[in-house]
Amino acid sequence: MSRVPADGLRNLQGEHEYDIVWPWTKPGGLRTGSTAVLRVKNEARSLPFVLPGLLRVCDKVLVVDNQSDDQTPEVAKQAAVDMGRGDQLEVLEYPFRVARAGAEHLAEPELSVHSLSYFYNWSFAQCDTTFSWKWDGDMVLTAEGELAMAEFGWRSFRKDVILKFPRHGLYVESESRAYLDLSLHNAEGWGFPIGPEWTYTKSFEWEVRRRPEDTVDAILPRGLCVELKWLDGDEFGHWTDPESFATSARNARKRYEWSVFNALSAGEVPPELIQIDSPEGTHVIDYVTKTWLPTAPRPLRPPNREPQPTD
Amino acid sequence: MSDSQDRPQQPAADPAAAPPAAGVAADTVGEVAGDAEATASLGRRLRYPRRVVLVAGAGRSGTSTLAGVLQRLHLYVPQPEVDADTTNPRGFGESAWVVRHHDRMLRRANVNMADARPDAWLDAARIAAMPNCRVPTSKFLEEQFGFGSEVVIKDPRLSWFLGLWQAAAVRTESTAVVVTMLRPPAEVIGSKQDHYANRLGAPHLAASWLNMMLHTERAGRDLQEGAGRSFVRYTDLLGDWTSTIMRLGEELQLQNVLHAGTTAVTDVDTFIDPALRRTERTLADMPISSRMRELVEETDAALNSMADPGGDTAEVRATLDQLRTAYVDLYADAEAVTRSTALAAVERGRREGREAARAESAPDGSGDEAGGAADAATGLARRAARRLPEPVKGRLRDLRGRG
Repeated sequence: MSRVPADGLRNLQGEHEYDIVWPWTKPGGLRTGSTAVLRVKNEARSLPFVLPGLLRVCDKVLVVDNQSDDQTPEVAKQAAVDMGRGDQLEVLEYPFRVARAGAEHLAEPELSVHSLSYFYNWSFAQCDTTFSWKWDGDMVLTAEGELAMAEFGWRSFRKDVILKFPRHGLYVESESRAYLDLSLHNAEGWGFPIGPEWTYTKSFEWEVRRRPEDTVDAILPRGLCVELKWLDGDEFGHWTDPESFATSARNARKRYEWSVFNALSAGEVPPELIQIDSPEGTHVIDYVTKTWLPTAPRPLRPPNREPQPTD
Repeated sequence: MSDSQDRPQQPAADPAAAPPAAGVAADTVGEVAGDAEATASLGRRLRYPRRVVLVAGAGRSGTSTLAGVLQRLHLYVPQPEVDADTTNPRGFGESAWVVRHHDRMLRRANVNMADARPDAWLDAARIAAMPNCRVPTSKFLEEQFGFGSEVVIKDPRLSWFLGLWQAAAVRTESTAVVVTMLRPPAEVIGSKQDHYANRLGAPHLAASWLNMMLHTERAGRDLQEGAGRSFVRYTDLLGDWTSTIMRLGEELQLQNVLHAGTTAVTDVDTFIDPALRRTERTLADMPISSRMRELVEETDAALNSMADPGGDTAEVRATLDQLRTAYVDLYADAEAVTRSTALAAVERGRREGREAARAESAPDGSGDEAGGAADAATGLARRAARRLPEPVKGRLRDLRGRG
């Protein structure tokens, strides 16, 4: 769609309960603040690590569950209650099968309830704050990341700005051992205003967020966030198949992650990864995000590599 | 973010009562300003938990006095300090390195120390997020912990960079706490008018105060787990410094305050001078609009209530959120109304720049052709520069600044 209908979107299947009403057109409009919006499927194992940091720094966390069968919604609620922040969490259900990234997504019309872009638009239409974080159910903030997210959230008030920062792959082998990948430098956009110029549209393999012409990119430093990859899990199940990320330059990161994941699964540690063992009694994810990464010498870089300007 | 009102109050046990840590020797560290107790207790003080005390607030609101008090109680102000002058004869309590560092970042961000633009908060943070700003900050802080475990960072520019110092605290395994000094805005504005020979004008200074205080309060909510913040009225500090500072020490768990010796106390007693509050004015004396005065008065009242015990509440924060939004709206309206003035100023600046370039390239007065060529070359260079990645631009700006 080149133009976004001001009165919202109606899906092709006639599921009117899931038609999209833009939040800025709802009574009361948007309130000042930030919401982390997580679209999740079977993230019960990751959410207890993901949610505490988000709940500490965002006004609200919205978890949109899509057909999980591992009690993801219950785990999310429990994590918030355990922190005494149950009132900041909202859990919603999106009950339709969503196309996987790649060929399946490409074949799906944009206004289908099965389309990734429709799913994203519906999810973000449930957000009633002026700023949003597009967050994944396996991304864990570090201690420094929490501060940065809180700070840039309010400093971006009424600005056309995209907040970008790199995420570092953390391949989790066990409760006490993981492999950290500091070799990738690309900073993706995670923080966006909510408004008519910031909706989603369909791209080739996945959805993309629109942006106004004069948008500013704010690039935050490395070391703010890790992306969990459970070595005994299905980390590529949201893709149609490996062929879907086999060729395009857009998917270079995914191809690289696929190669690293398979190497580790086969018992081989790629030289650019850092093996981290946590002290007894501390989960390795907590150790990496609360201690190891925040206090690691800067510039952050993989072993045996010269520092880069963006380190 | 932790919430200071929820923070459990710890008993004032001395965490440095344990034997000295291996490798910590009192005679290997720098001189600590203060009293005869200093040398004997230095080893003890180095074993206190690491704390960074960020003294924020509008300039001329008593931040120097507070930093001076903390320094005399043996918290560490990084050396060398900015020299005292006639505007602050008892010293600023400011590290010269910190001032230079902040100043350089503000220049790169094109932000003025007393900038009244709400947009300036994002501009400053974008620069401070760059690795070549973050890394030196944490490196500097780590070095200071060799001289004292409770370090005071104070500079009128600090509010722009609270996030930067919070990040440095995380990287150095320390805890950053925030103290915001409060002084009646009319006195701050009056003091600045005196200080700057009335060049800036009361309306601008009032806007600057609002922008600084509303956003400093917001920035101070973002704390590490286990950290806290406090608000201190300048009048309280001058009126009864002992109760004010002890409360601060308890709220922020500052061990040097909780365990201060008698000599340090008498040093502070000598240092504090109620006559420091030289400016007593009211907003009614100043030519500012009724809307601006209303915002200033409401902000002042809300901030003042935060300085009461248990006053940092969700309700007051919500009030300040509304006031901040109102100020952003007011500023946007003012910008829209005065757009012609801004455009004219930009054009005037361009002309002056062109004239300066002509004068430089053709000192013999050989004419407009040289000026035109200089314009074209400058335009080309600017277009090329816009295509450079941000880190490269930053480095070029640095080099230019050094040149």
